[in-house]
Amino acid sequence: MSASPHSFSKPPRGPDVLGELLHSLSQPLTSLRCSLELSIEEAAEQQQESVAVALQQTEKVIAMIQLMREYLDAEQPGPEAFSTALAPSMRSVIQELSSIAAVRDVRLRLVGTCTATVPVPESRLRLALQYLIASMIEGQPAGGKVMLLLGEGPAGAVLRVEGERGFRELDFRAMEQSATSPQAKRDPAGVTSASESTLRRVRLAIASRVLETAGASLVFGDAGHTRVDPAGFVLRIPRRLGPPAR
Amino acid sequence: MRILIVEDDAALSSFLRKGLEAEHHAVDVANEGNQGRAMAMEFDYDLVVLDLNLPGVDGLSVLRSLRQRKANLPVMILTARSRVEDRVQCLDSGADDYLVKPFSFLELSARARALLRRSHLPSESILTVRDLCLDRVERKVARAGRHIELTTKEFALLEYLMRNAGRRLTRAMIIEHVWNLTFDSTTNVVDVYINYLRRKVDDGFSPSLIHTVRGVGYQMCPEGASA
Repeated sequence: MSASPHSFSKPPRGPDVLGELLHSLSQPLTSLRCSLELSIEEAAEQQQESVAVALQQTEKVIAMIQLMREYLDAEQPGPEAFSTALAPSMRSVIQELSSIAAVRDVRLRLVGTCTATVPVPESRLRLALQYLIASMIEGQPAGGKVMLLLGEGPAGAVLRVEGERGFRELDFRAMEQSATSPQAKRDPAGVTSASESTLRRVRLAIASRVLETAGASLVFGDAGHTRVDPAGFVLRIPRRLGPPAR
Repeated sequence: MRILIVEDDAALSSFLRKGLEAEHHAVDVANEGNQGRAMAMEFDYDLVVLDLNLPGVDGLSVLRSLRQRKANLPVMILTARSRVEDRVQCLDSGADDYLVKPFSFLELSARARALLRRSHLPSESILTVRDLCLDRVERKVARAGRHIELTTKEFALLEYLMRNAGRRLTRAMIIEHVWNLTFDSTTNVVDVYINYLRRKVDDGFSPSLIHTVRGVGYQMCPEGASA
């Protein structure tokens, strides 16, 4: 089996323990996934459905493991050598998510620009922005709109993202409660909704950690109080994280 | 093609061997680093699939040795480490590709084909599956001589399906390669775009080329067998 990255004289602690466990899980899960993928064609027709369900469940477990890894990574500060410009990453993420927005009949519009950089690897910044903006898109009604306003002031850069609906904590709680109710236990669709809401919350937590670990601040809109006002989130990147003074 | 798998987990190396042999590759397996390095140096492989955490000599050391003696041999790294720094270290050490566990065999197979293609053939500018043609340079698509208008995303999706014609592709692979996202949103965007493509590429033509593979995803079938 794989060698442990830790010496025996210093037992791993906290996140390291979790990291090692996740690392160890990845090996048998790879075997399980590959085995099911290769079996699906060989299985007799009456067994194919069972293999397909097993494969789907395995992929769900893998998705959860992936999120746990991302969360662990987000807890640790990125290497200082990395510095990623916010505006190009924003534009690229919006481009990637535009077809998802179109499928949901939600308009995405980016206004403004900035020169700020964030001290995280590009892939991590893009992941955080994808999670935030994808969640905003998914929360909007058909025909809705998500406005992304990017600007720069004396204190630093600000990204303000507004939609008709924000990240409403009450919605999440309602989903969880409905999923644990007796009716929901008989309703697989309800359980799926709860699972999706959990995934969404974890993705938002990862996005928050990535950005906060990099010194930025992220505030979610208070849509629960003002239903008529636009809601969403505000990301602030202080000047000290911006480009070096010339 | 001849492929060497250097992987210490017997169950995993056995599945990889079985899957790659089913795709008509000749496959050898080494279970530890020294053995893998010796085999890679001695024999003439078209691709090495190399695990990083190996007993004996670790995968990075094997990779560095290979790069000194066989600079053009394609090497795909398998690892459970997913951080950017790990990827950078692997690529800087000379890896051609990098796959994070728990990966899909279909993903490994697709990437192996891409590496083998890159090392043996010039990149094709025109892709053809039966009577469907996609010109990557002119950005044009035609079926049975009839021009088909596609959006940018539809074009990218069709190109990915055609590049992997005859192979099963999961939704996760499609969303990663075509949308550059590592997560599946609740929009079922892959299914929606496959439907868009079917309307344009398959409706009114025979046989249907885009097939649903139950429990897996989709497949562009060059034989045109019924779905």
